[in-house]
Parts: sequence; structure tokens; C-alpha cells
Amino acid sequence: MSAAKPLNIYGTELNSRLLVGSALYPSPQVMQDSIKASGAQIVTLSLSRQNPQANGGASFWEMIQSLGLHLLPNTAGCHSSKEAVNMAKMSRELFQTDWVKLELVGDDYNLQPDPIELVKTTEILLNDGFKVLPYCTDDLVIARHLIELGCKVIMPWGSPIGTGKGLLNPYALQAIRDRFPEVTLIVDSGIGKPSHAIQALEMGVDAILLNTAIAHAHQPVKMAQAFAKAIEAGRLAYEAGPMSERSTASPSTPTLDQPFWHQVNVG
Amino acid sequence: MNIGILGAGLIGRLTALQLSNDHQVTLFDADDEQATQSAAYLAAAMLAPIAESVETSHTLMQMGQRSQLLWPQLLAQLNAPVFFQQAGSLILAFEQDSGNLQDFARHLKGIEGEDFMRIDSTRLAELEPELAAQSKPFKHLLYLPHEGQLDNRQLLKALQSTLQARGVTWHAQTPAEIRDGQVWANGQLHAFDRIIDCRGLGGKTQIPSPSRLRGVRGEVLRLYAPEVILNRPVRLMHPRYPIYIAPKENHHFVVGATQIESEDSREPTVRSALELLSACFSVHKGFAEAEILQIASGLRPALGDNEPKIWVNNKVIQINGLFRHGYLLAPVMVEQCVALVNGKTDDLPQYPNLIETL
Repeated sequence: MSAAKPLNIYGTELNSRLLVGSALYPSPQVMQDSIKASGAQIVTLSLSRQNPQANGGASFWEMIQSLGLHLLPNTAGCHSSKEAVNMAKMSRELFQTDWVKLELVGDDYNLQPDPIELVKTTEILLNDGFKVLPYCTDDLVIARHLIELGCKVIMPWGSPIGTGKGLLNPYALQAIRDRFPEVTLIVDSGIGKPSHAIQALEMGVDAILLNTAIAHAHQPVKMAQAFAKAIEAGRLAYEAGPMSERSTASPSTPTLDQPFWHQVNVG
Repeated sequence: MNIGILGAGLIGRLTALQLSNDHQVTLFDADDEQATQSAAYLAAAMLAPIAESVETSHTLMQMGQRSQLLWPQLLAQLNAPVFFQQAGSLILAFEQDSGNLQDFARHLKGIEGEDFMRIDSTRLAELEPELAAQSKPFKHLLYLPHEGQLDNRQLLKALQSTLQARGVTWHAQTPAEIRDGQVWANGQLHAFDRIIDCRGLGGKTQIPSPSRLRGVRGEVLRLYAPEVILNRPVRLMHPRYPIYIAPKENHHFVVGATQIESEDSREPTVRSALELLSACFSVHKGFAEAEILQIASGLRPALGDNEPKIWVNNKVIQINGLFRHGYLLAPVMVEQCVALVNGKTDDLPQYPNLIETL
């Protein structure tokens, strides 16, 4: 077996294909334990509402930073390009990273990303030297615009944030995968169960970003372990190349006690 | 014994109450006598061990349940009445948040049918007729019959007058710290047989491994709503944190609180005010004409696991990290602390990881 191919985030190679969020856990202790159990090497975090100008979230950020993982600041809660650019700059300064998960809310209830503002803001941030990981819908044309601007990573949704509905449109995700094989494709949001993650990885999605599925599980640490195993299984399955589906059964051993005209797929 | 207590918030006052019968007690507090800067002053004072169990350990739920039994004994010692209620609580969810309510019910550590139950609109009409009569009544409901609440500001005041009537020495607006096993305040050292430190975030630098203690911001609204009658606290499901609408006496309501991982000490923000106000209005239209008496922000002292701790180091006892569970847990924390002082811990329930002897 050849060595597993690493995940590539703007040139940084990582073994884990799971990115996890740091919100919504019952306590910071459970957050730390869950993130460790997930094996994730990238943690997303948000500055929103914490009054970052006055370093308001410092105690909490230290708990995340103490894990020693790559930080991926996000722009959660931003509705306009200006807000997002400001928050990205503040995050870069605070966390000493040019990575940013660009999230621009286009609809308040399902937190659907605003594709028009997203493309506009991605360009501004890329020109400013950021390495942008845009959270987008599964629209092929938006994905193309983002890639043409210079994004090496794109992060379409599986379904809306926090819904846990899994991959609502596998066809659209497959189309993005097939058309842009060179880009790092991460499914961000909507993953509720490990089986959803496996499905995405089997399709050739490079990685999964999730938060609620672990944080709101009955036992977050155990669920983090479950996702770690699922993602490994899904990736191995993709590399191994799944068999093709057939519409009729095909016995793997001949059924000797049946007359040949009852057997299917003979010859 | 001669006992010095640092911090006269909820824990400091209750500890003083329980020790002042048998000991000489002196309180040092950076705050005024009303405790206006304390987390205790701001809180909604919910006694909700079952609802909180969604995110706490089983032990913490048991501590909360025992505290509920202890509260009446504590209140009976006070020289003024304090509003105390055990009429249960209701958990409501909007249609869009019904998934959150499902998760919530699944994560409750109590027993279904005993500690919590799903109820229909007929039962809602019996419990809270005004909620059942709203134009868009809630369809997703849970009833937690044993939950309670009290009026925190009445309590803090009654504790103050009772302690002063008992002759407890009270140094208000007097910051103090522990130095060489004594209390440093007013520019001099004060010697005590025992020192009890319950300063919350104010005592951060003096607890073992201070980096474990952080502030978690909360914003709380106080309303006067003569057009609203609720018989018990209502907890509204919210994607990020629970919002309580807790009816106190005379149509006063405490609404809160936000829960933000930040030590930001600014005044409440517009976004938080909107969330709290719209939560009220969405539950009962009678809040439209309510008076906003106060909107305030504060910080809850919390440890990494969001559960409290008692550290014992020779004659110094430190209590901290009560997070959003001050009123829920105070009686048990104080019971344990007093037993440590009196050397009589054997008769009490033991809670794993609560007490750490240094």
C-alpha cells in the first residue's frame, strides 16, 4: 500500500483530513478533550462578539492555542464585505496566521453564504496576502470564480450550518470534485453523523470541517473518535477505489445446489 | 474561631451566615453592601438542576438537587422575607428550533415522566394560560416540575441585614488579598484562624493555577411588565445559549442571560439586547409595553470544565468557578465549606473532584 496522501492547505501538508470548530461545547475542557480525540490538526475559531479590540476572548483563545494546532480564524457572523475584511485583519494580527475561513452570511436563518459578497471579498483578501478558505454553497460556477481568483481550497456546504442533514446534493459536490480535481475540496457544514463524512470522503472530497456534530453529541469525545475513524475509512475507500454498483445480484461463489438457469449473471 | 472571609457576594454572605452562629466572622469586600458588581447581583437566580444537566456532569446535577432542599433552611434564618418558588419551569422552542429541543430532551440527565415531561397545549393552558392564549402558541414544550427560582436582590439584601444584626464585621469597598496566610487590607495585615476566599474573578491571581479561571460574559435584562402573568420561569431554546424569562414578584421579570466566551466588560451590546428583547416579545406580546428597568453585563467566574472547586491549603479555603450555577450550587458549596472549617465532613455527601487539598 502506498503512503496516504497528505491534505494540502496552501502548501501546508497535514495528515488529518478533519478540521474542527471550537464553539458550542459544554465546557472548554470538553472542547479540548474532543479536539484531541478527533486527531484534527486544524481548529477554527471565531472572534465574533468577544470584543477582540480589547482582547476580550484571550482566556478562551489560550485554551484553544494550548492545543498546539494550526488555527483557522473565521469570519462567522459577518454580513458585509467590510466587516469580514476587518475581522480577517484582526484575526491575522491576533493569531499570527494568514489563513482565514471566509464566511459571509447571506440569510440569517439558515446562515446560507452570500455568493456575490463572497467572491468580491475573496478577491480583496487574496490581494491583501491572505490564504482564503471560502465557505460557499455547492454551486459549480461560484466554485470556478473562487478558483480563478486564486483559491487553492474551497469549502462548499453539505447542508446548512448546524442542521446535521449530511450531503443534500451529492451530485453538485461530485461535479465540483470532477471539474476541479486539483483544488483542495473541503465539505464545511451540515455533517451530522460519521456516515455523512464517509460518504463525502468516498466521493473524493479531501477533508471535512465540522463543529456541531461533535459539540452537540451526547458524548462529544466519543463522537470525535468516531469521526476520526470515519474520515480515515472514507479516505482509504476513495484511494482503494470502490467497486461499481450493479443492478442485479452477483454471487461471489457459485451456488452449486441451484440449477444453472436459476443463477444470474452466468457467463 | 476567628474567621476572615474575602468577597461578600453570594458565597461570602451565605458562608458568613452559616459560620456567624459559632464563630467570630469578618467580611472584606471590594464591592458595596448591595454587591452591585457581583455576578450574584446580576443573575436570574434559577434553581434548575435538571435543565442545566444538559451540559453538566451527573454530580453537578445532584449537588443542585441537594441545594434545592437546603435553600428553605437558609432562608428561614434571615430577618426579611425572600421570594422563593418551586413551581417548575417550562422549556419552549420555536418550530425552527424544535431540533434543539429534541437534543435538549435527549441530553437531560433526569428521569422522563418524573423530572421532565413533554406536554401538550391543554396542559400548557392549565400551567400558563397566557402563553396558551398567544396568537402563535408553542407546540414544542417540556415541563420540568421540580425546578425553582428565587429573588436574588431580596436575598442579598436580607443576608446583609441579617449578618449586620448578628454583629458580623463588614468592611465594604475594601479590596483585600491573602498575604503570608493572613489578610492584607486597608494597608495592614489581619490575622485569622481561618481564611475563606470567595472573591470570584477578583481572586483570580490567588487561586492555584490562575490560568484555569476565566470570565464568561453575560448580559441580563430586568423588566416591569404589568400586562404579563407567568407563573414560573420559561426557558427558550436558542441556537447558542438558553434564555430564561424568570418572573419575580409584582410583574418584575429577569431575562437572560447571554453567554459569550469573552472577558469583555463593556456595557451590553445592541445585538444582545435585541436577542433578549425579541425573546420576550416572541414568547408573550404583553412584553411590548414593558418598562426596561435595567440592562447590564457582567462576568461569570468559570474553570475549564465549567464546574466549581474548593481548594484547601492549611487554614485557607478557596471557593471559585461557580460559572452560571451560583444560586443552583451555593447551599452545597457553603455546606461543604462550613464542614471543612468545623472538621465535620464525614456526615456529608462526597462529590468527586469538588475538594482539592493542597
